[in-house]
Amino acid sequence: MNIISVGVNHKTAPIEIRERISLSEVQNKEFITGLISSGLAHEAMVVSTCNRTELYVVPAMHEVSCEYLKDYLISFKDARKEVRPEHFFARFYCGTARHLFEVASAIDSLVLGEGQILGQVKNAYRIAAETQCAGILLTRLCHTAFSVAKKVKTKTKIMEGAVSVSYAAVELAQKIFSNLSLKKVLLIGAGETGELAAKHIFQKNARNIVITNRTLAKAETLAEELGTNQVLPFESFRNHLHEFDIIITAVSTKEYILTEAEMHQSMIKRKLKPVIILDLGLPRNVDPDIAKLQNMFLKDIDALKHIIDKNLEKRSRELPKVNAIIEEELVAFGQWINTLKVRPTIVDLQSKFIEIKEKELERYRYKVSAEELQRMEHLTDRILKKILHHPIKMLKAPIDTTDSIPSRVNLVRNVFDLEEPNQSY
Amino acid sequence: MNNILLNNLPLLILNQLLSLLYLSTTFLYGAHFFRDMPLAKKYKQPFLVVTVLTHLTYLGLLTSMEGYKISYSTLNLMTMVGLTLTTTYLFTEFTTKSDKTGFFVISFATGAQLISSILTSQIQNTGMTFSGVGIGVHLVAAIFGFSAIAIAGIYSILYLLLFRQIQHNRFEIFFQRLPNLEILEKLTMHAVSLGFLFLTITIFAGIFEQRASGEAITLWEPKLVTLVIIWLIYGTGIFIKPLIGWDIKHMAYLFIFLFLFITLLIVLMTFFSPTFHGLSF
Repeated sequence: MNIISVGVNHKTAPIEIRERISLSEVQNKEFITGLISSGLAHEAMVVSTCNRTELYVVPAMHEVSCEYLKDYLISFKDARKEVRPEHFFARFYCGTARHLFEVASAIDSLVLGEGQILGQVKNAYRIAAETQCAGILLTRLCHTAFSVAKKVKTKTKIMEGAVSVSYAAVELAQKIFSNLSLKKVLLIGAGETGELAAKHIFQKNARNIVITNRTLAKAETLAEELGTNQVLPFESFRNHLHEFDIIITAVSTKEYILTEAEMHQSMIKRKLKPVIILDLGLPRNVDPDIAKLQNMFLKDIDALKHIIDKNLEKRSRELPKVNAIIEEELVAFGQWINTLKVRPTIVDLQSKFIEIKEKELERYRYKVSAEELQRMEHLTDRILKKILHHPIKMLKAPIDTTDSIPSRVNLVRNVFDLEEPNQSY
Repeated sequence: MNNILLNNLPLLILNQLLSLLYLSTTFLYGAHFFRDMPLAKKYKQPFLVVTVLTHLTYLGLLTSMEGYKISYSTLNLMTMVGLTLTTTYLFTEFTTKSDKTGFFVISFATGAQLISSILTSQIQNTGMTFSGVGIGVHLVAAIFGFSAIAIAGIYSILYLLLFRQIQHNRFEIFFQRLPNLEILEKLTMHAVSLGFLFLTITIFAGIFEQRASGEAITLWEPKLVTLVIIWLIYGTGIFIKPLIGWDIKHMAYLFIFLFLFITLLIVLMTFFSPTFHGLSF
């Protein structure tokens, strides 16, 4: 009864290898059902994202080792030329459990504490469960991993603070203005970066978002998507600069689209009320001299990266707390695994005593009344319960250094003369 | 009036205990703000509530010795400033659910209470006592007015600190923990408005009480002149922003200056002009 995990991730292999070995949902289903139907594994699950492809397998035979599984996946993807076993990591038993807990709680992610991985692990488990590839072990492992992730999210600050440029921009705006729903936002550029920033600021209740873009149709599409329906022609947006509290620029240009003189005039018109300009363009879209204006906050990508660095630093400081949670759950999971190992002995022990009880009662079935027989049955049940209480408690007790599960099992089996158990996992 | 505390050991102990409570509360708020300690987060507000309640009990017992009359002395002035600051802050924390500025306000209150406690053991005479609605309103409004000025000053300092951190891309502890600039601006302006209101009440209650008692008060007495000047500056401050668009950054400098100036003035005047508006009784 072992759980093996092998896989490639951002720590073990470069992106081209990760891309080569990743599995789509259809391939995932095909792969795990193949492992089960060929009798190689009792249970199997694959977590496949852009940063990792990892197998979690309960092998059905000793031959199914880490090396075997690595080779099996490489063959499945027909990637022998590009992918080598050295690109893989391998974990066993508690190491596998720890690894999945770390993955689910996002401390193994490329961006520490990112919020998507838990959903991806849940999706992997859903696929395994739907295809009936997840049995008692993987189900318990995954549910414990979800519980770890939930605890980590609520009890630590590992997921706090922005770690992407567009989120950092919104976080900065919130450090200047208290209520974004009362602020007027101008988005210059409706490309991918602009769209992302607009969506993030919209999520933080900014509703008065006006979009301008060289191609007006693109601005209109994004405005419609956001539900704001406010666009300005690119040629005339400069006449309205004083109306906006937050200006986000994300256009591809070699010349500054906002100059110091324009913003100076705008600030006079708005009686020096604070303005934040978030320049997400590369090369920069806004004249850096604008930062010298009174009550003007101009932030470019480099400045926003400072926020991201600080937040990542803060998240890193939470790692000891996360590890403590994982450690605690790992102990509980290990104890549960141990109860699985002793379960057949407990079942055999109980069956043996019930058999004895039934045989003895059978001898009196026709010698006493039905009422008396029922009373004798209750009495023997109570005696059996008391006799078995201590051996079962001893079997389930956590292991220490002087004891081990097989020695306990053997002791009970010898004392009570139980037959050898069947070798099922 | 003789110093009651020196002749009353339980009250003296309560006075010293109060200082300890203030120090502990400040420590907890500081530990939460700077170190993010979970224990400090859990216990800081209960400690603040206990401190305020102990302070109220202490003042109740202190004034009960002299028929609930208010005595005019540095000792009592400072302890009242401490109480009004913590009460005002506690009210803000309960209503806004924001506990990020507590350390700064309570530190100042603790300073005031410590001065009061230290002076307790050194002053034999705690000054004259007053009773009556007019003089009561005058004194209480003056204390609340000074507390509002102190809060406006403290929030202005925090505003400038955060402003500078954002401008210079130093996204450190103040950026991470303080409320946003707009909230700090609102808190400052509310404190200024309240300060102006209390100073107005102080002036009018003083005029009313002077007329009712018929006491001759010198109009050029330094405390009176300073009070009127500060009242004018604060009044102007409220209208500067909407009228001429003077930005909050410059206003913050003004409020910090006023806060420091008034604090210094109070300390100096209490030592060098300890009488109540030149009255000789």
